Amino acid sequence: MYTKKGPMNQTLWSRLALVTVLVMGALAPTWSLAQMPARFYWDTLSGASAVPLIFESINGNTNPFDPAHIVTPGADFEATMAIAGYARTFALFDRSAMAAILLPMGRISGDVTVAGSTFNQSASGFGDPMIELSINVIGPPAQKNLADALRYEPGFSLKLLADLALPIGEYDNDQPLNIGQNRWYGRLGLPIVWQLGPWVPGRRTTLELLPAVWLFGNNTDYVGQTLETDPMFQLDAHLTRDFTEHLWGSLDLAWFNGGQATINGVQGEKLDNLGLGLTLGYVINENLNLTLGYKSTLNDDAPGDLQMDGFMATLVFGWHPLIEGSRRLKGE
Amino acid sequence: MKTVLPRSLRATIRKAGRLLCALGMFGLAASLAAPAGAADGSRRPNIVIILGDDLGFSDMGSFGGEIRTPNLDSLANEGVRFTNFYTHATCSPTRSILLSGVDNHVNGLGNMDEYTAPNQQNVPGYEGHLNDRVLTLPQLLKDTGYHTYMVGKWHLGKQPDQIPAARGFERDFSLLDGAGSYWDMTSFTAANPKSVFTEDGRYLTKLPKDYYATKTYTDKLISFIDANRGDGKPFFAYVAHQAPHDPFHLPKEWRNRHVGEYDKGWDAVRQERLAREIDLGILPPGTKLAERMWFVPDPITLAPATRATLGKKMELYAGMVENMDFHVGRLIDHLKKIGEYENTIFIVFGDNGAEGTDLIKMIAGQPGTRDFLFAAIKWSQTHPKAWGDPGSYVGYGPMWAQVSMTPFSQYKGWMAEGGIRNALIVSGPAVERPKGSINHGVMHVADIMPTLLEIAGADYPKVHEGRQVPELIGKSWNRMLRGQVDSPRTDRDELAWEIFGNRAVRQGDWKLRWQHRPFGKGEWELFNLATDPAEREDLAAARPDKVRQMVALWDRYVRTNNVILPSRSIFETLEDQLPPRVPDDPGFPPLIHQRQFVPPDDMVADPKR
Repeated sequence: MYTKKGPMNQTLWSRLALVTVLVMGALAPTWSLAQMPARFYWDTLSGASAVPLIFESINGNTNPFDPAHIVTPGADFEATMAIAGYARTFALFDRSAMAAILLPMGRISGDVTVAGSTFNQSASGFGDPMIELSINVIGPPAQKNLADALRYEPGFSLKLLADLALPIGEYDNDQPLNIGQNRWYGRLGLPIVWQLGPWVPGRRTTLELLPAVWLFGNNTDYVGQTLETDPMFQLDAHLTRDFTEHLWGSLDLAWFNGGQATINGVQGEKLDNLGLGLTLGYVINENLNLTLGYKSTLNDDAPGDLQMDGFMATLVFGWHPLIEGSRRLKGE
Repeated sequence: MKTVLPRSLRATIRKAGRLLCALGMFGLAASLAAPAGAADGSRRPNIVIILGDDLGFSDMGSFGGEIRTPNLDSLANEGVRFTNFYTHATCSPTRSILLSGVDNHVNGLGNMDEYTAPNQQNVPGYEGHLNDRVLTLPQLLKDTGYHTYMVGKWHLGKQPDQIPAARGFERDFSLLDGAGSYWDMTSFTAANPKSVFTEDGRYLTKLPKDYYATKTYTDKLISFIDANRGDGKPFFAYVAHQAPHDPFHLPKEWRNRHVGEYDKGWDAVRQERLAREIDLGILPPGTKLAERMWFVPDPITLAPATRATLGKKMELYAGMVENMDFHVGRLIDHLKKIGEYENTIFIVFGDNGAEGTDLIKMIAGQPGTRDFLFAAIKWSQTHPKAWGDPGSYVGYGPMWAQVSMTPFSQYKGWMAEGGIRNALIVSGPAVERPKGSINHGVMHVADIMPTLLEIAGADYPKVHEGRQVPELIGKSWNRMLRGQVDSPRTDRDELAWEIFGNRAVRQGDWKLRWQHRPFGKGEWELFNLATDPAEREDLAAARPDKVRQMVALWDRYVRTNNVILPSRSIFETLEDQLPPRVPDDPGFPPLIHQRQFVPPDDMVADPKR
């Protein structure tokens, strides 16, 4: 009935708000399939930090380090990549915002055909780091403290998103297959999180959409040629659902359209492909979030179609000074 | 519309009715016995008792609450508010007194059924249900020609001879338990996993579609009223709402009407309520707040998230009260629509002090117990986002219970004013005092039965079916309601209470109180309620003469009502569970209250090299 701790025990609930911090399963994503995982764009408590670590094993006819997904018909690439990064949430004009930097790394190898010649190539090293900024424009205000986080429900939330990749990754102009892309590129998007039903851990359901446009600069030293790529439209969709307070799953769909590549005036095919995936997410503890997923392109039988499939595992470690301090005081 | 006939005429008609009964004309007797125009029973007023379960003294807007209760306030504006009205400290004793007019130690609720002590078992008056030695208000009203309806919580017995239909209610839709889910039949313990409901005397196997307690009770009552409309008989409706008793189960659209409003903390809300109470005339200027319970922290020392989490509980409670008010409004609107409102007496009050005890913690037990496992399946929707849903159990704790009982001390289960004093509204044709007026006369829930019997022209017999019937202990309000006196009591009349071993006596402005430690001292305490309604200053040491005099009243009460102090009590180990009691001196210790020192601007400098 009563306890010597008094009526404040319930404040432990405030810690639950922190789980949200870690559900930034997010930084995970990857450029493979140029698709962010579900729940990546959930807003969280301002002032939180996260370090993502993403591992992927990918197979297909395009370079997963290149978000343009230029298809190389007949190619068979195998890539092992990792992405490490850092993200920080903050409030900007009372809106939830996030800044992040992601650094891809790994190796790729396979057969590449350029101008009728087939080469077996490989590359390894660090890719182009990408800077990402996002800010919520429709939806609840920023969660500036735990009280805000306690009351937060996304309802219908929409963000502005901007990505910019810096062309400083490993690049070898003697071969078409590279980790770095030797050109500027970036993305403008409108991530949408649409809450369906209650916002109770264990019962949350969301429909998440990300319409985005990728814009590419020219690579003027693509095996001695010039590579141009038209803008590529991408629509990611995720239907996510909690199974328990800690376990959730997602049905993922991605549609790519456009992105026609031109090499020295010779045009390639436009992309018009669908990708389908499944993701399971598990909140290991207040700091650590794990997701496991598989994705594959669907309409990929024709030689010019995008063909990719891959497994992905992400670990995101998140923290907030408030929570870490509370934990120290409690001796946990 | 005045519908009460002169007493002499009523008496004459009553005599005629008895004579007809004696002649064996049973079929006619009931209607002819009605005093208010035997040929036209409809001229007697309808009676609606609206009981809020654990509703606090200051919750309604008309009593100083910030909770929006326009429909209950409309009754207050058209009737009279009473500020010195007493119930019992817990629900079933209050309900037993309301429906029998007899002290709870006589009517079977000498203790709550759930807590009957070993030395009280098998003792008459401690049956745990309304015993068959008492007559009930609905039974007598039905006998005199009233339709009698009940919806809501009964809590006075579950056996076939104890349910509403057996105790005088012609129609009912009742939760027999003391509490439960508002959404379904889920009850609280592994031993009693399913709430028991009756409808018109039959035990229900399931609940209606779209069941939500407060809504369904109102729907049912309206259907009862409509079913018998036009037969010329008045009705008595006992609307024993489950709301706002925890768990705070609430439709989603009622959960977010006060978001963030209670983050300011309980002290601030209590102060605001007190100011409004004084402004309204509910309390006299200069009234002080009771102590903040010593184990409740000063809210200004709490982090925003803690205040938000705890404030959300009060947000839900406010929603519960507002939802109940909405459904009371539906009933009022319906009575207006069918032309019965003007001829209906409304009596509105809460059944005891607000609930400050964490019931689910008490019920769910410890890990490894069967009740814990039951709660894990049925009552574990503990996330604040789930509060209000089926499977959630939210109460608001001692801090908000004190807010509901502003300015009084303590809450439900205790004999401080916060446990037994409640807001009362009476409106309708029986009231001739100025509309919207406030009365400070000392009233008691036991008064309702003689008051309503008198209004209905019903007799309270001394003998029933060959057995002596216990005397009514209340005093009729009718002279007071007509404005002939200001109180049904004089300063020499006393009231007394006992439950769980806590006990009290009030006579005039004086109150003698004994409570288990540490809420009490384990000895008699004396308060002057005229100058100290918050019971801050114990005068027992200063006025031993008054203590002796009032202890004598207590002893008489014990003898008269066969009060058996329980050998076991739910509060027997409370002192071991709570921190040591200390005064609630504001701002102590300064260490955690003093703000950052800010030096004068012109004396600020960077360090010298």
